[in-house]
Amino acid sequence: MKKGSRFKTLNYVVLFTGVLIIAYPVYLTILTALKTTQETSKNFFSLPQSLYLGNFIEVIHKANFPTFLFNSFIITGVSVALIVIIAPITSYAIARNLKNRYFKFLFGYITIGIFIPFQVIMIPLTKLMTRLGMLNQAGIIILYLTFSLIQSVFLYVGYIKTLPLDIEESAYLDGCNIPKSYFYVIFPLLKPMTATIVVMNVLWIWNDFLLPLLILNRSQSYWTIQLFQYNFKSQYMFDYNLAFASFFLSTLPVVLIYMSMQKHIVSGITQGAVKH
Amino acid sequence: MKIKGVPLIYYLFTLPALILMTVFFMYPMVDGIYYSMTNWNGISKAFDFIGFQNYFKVFSDHRIINSLSFTVTYTILLVIAVIAISMVLALMLNSNIVFKKTLRSIFLFPTILSLITVGMVFNQIFYRVIPVIGKVLNIEALSSNILANPSLAIYGILIVALWQGVALPTLLFIAGLQSVPESLLEAAKIDGANALQRFTKITFPYLIPSLTIVFILTLKNGLTVFDYIMAMTSGGPGKATESIGVLIYKYAFSELKYSYSTTVSVILFLMIMIVSVIQMKVLRKSEVEA
Repeated sequence: MKKGSRFKTLNYVVLFTGVLIIAYPVYLTILTALKTTQETSKNFFSLPQSLYLGNFIEVIHKANFPTFLFNSFIITGVSVALIVIIAPITSYAIARNLKNRYFKFLFGYITIGIFIPFQVIMIPLTKLMTRLGMLNQAGIIILYLTFSLIQSVFLYVGYIKTLPLDIEESAYLDGCNIPKSYFYVIFPLLKPMTATIVVMNVLWIWNDFLLPLLILNRSQSYWTIQLFQYNFKSQYMFDYNLAFASFFLSTLPVVLIYMSMQKHIVSGITQGAVKH
Repeated sequence: MKIKGVPLIYYLFTLPALILMTVFFMYPMVDGIYYSMTNWNGISKAFDFIGFQNYFKVFSDHRIINSLSFTVTYTILLVIAVIAISMVLALMLNSNIVFKKTLRSIFLFPTILSLITVGMVFNQIFYRVIPVIGKVLNIEALSSNILANPSLAIYGILIVALWQGVALPTLLFIAGLQSVPESLLEAAKIDGANALQRFTKITFPYLIPSLTIVFILTLKNGLTVFDYIMAMTSGGPGKATESIGVLIYKYAFSELKYSYSTTVSVILFLMIMIVSVIQMKVLRKSEVEA
């Protein structure tokens, strides 16, 4: 018994240390964001004397921050909306016709991408997008849609295969054609998987850095939040307070989503990882 | 209307995906392989087809060898550390403790953050916080920014990758632990098996599927590391932290070695392909056992 309780204490000590290690950068970010430059240069670790909000205001006004935030929102929102339209409809056709050679081939053709890291195609892809004149928001949205298909189709096909065929057959008997039975009967049944796909893709697209770097870096008006942070790297080495205020602001949307939809996020990223 | 017994509408459903994958995924793939056999610099009008010359050049290019050795070292360290830390954390978070749920959501939190933001925050920590601790503890190596030290910068990047990267594996191991039948552990306890025996003989086999996933996931993350390096060291100091991903990017976009960079891409592809084939073999084997 005594040995068990000693083990338990060790358990708590390690976990508590872990919590501190995770919390410290967050604490430091909020702390520094709320201090003035003078306060920070006097003592980096001290608590703020008053709740100074000037850094947030300066980031928002000076750095065109709202534009970048808006760009990130639009790109993430439109991409995910398109993913949720195209991926399930493709997967439905594949899952219900896997005996046919074309659909079987297409399934492999899309999901083989699981084994090909993005860095392998990024150079020729950028060349292609330049030639097509698509180094803009529309271009990057199409790319997110394309690359998300790889994983989304894999997950959706697996899920649709488990749905019994009777469901559609009774819809056909009621006079539904294929598109109608898909929209009214099948698509609503996919909700749990759709939630997973939405969570995975929102996190990926919002946080992605490489694709915006390749496609949107040329014009500042196209920048996303991540790109903005990267481009301000050298400036941040000198203006810590501003830097931390912008780190805080750019992470806030994801943190709010995390706090409100934790259950979906946990299942979303676990399932996503399992089939990566 | 039907084609080979399948209503036409199903074909139409798949049309957007087929076009998108062909134009924006398969075409760049093939195009990249083609250009890896030319000497195009990325802007000139004329270039020649040179066969496998770029591939032979790779073996004598110190920069690529240096980059490969950094990437492989980083990946090995990352895989070992992630598996060790996340397995211990999973065991602890799955044991009988109070605030189990809250603790789990705290430990998962780093996964939702962007790699760039995390890298930037840690930049400041390495620059401002760690040296202070180093001076207080009188540790020479920590007294200055470790990211500016060619032999220590890799550990700086590793620390950040671990801070963020153990969360998801921990979650996956917890899922594995929950598949262990409680009755089996009870029975072993009654038969006099100690904690270590129970772990190695009963719990561990149930963790193998999670372990495979974590291994592959971390391996791929390691081999393609990019964001952290761009946010923290840009490949420096010197070329000490120039990963394969960063090298491909630099060759193509700032050093006018377009076709050569696609060669490095194809090599990265082959590396990942080998890993993936092993992954499938191992997964298939573990599925048979389960």
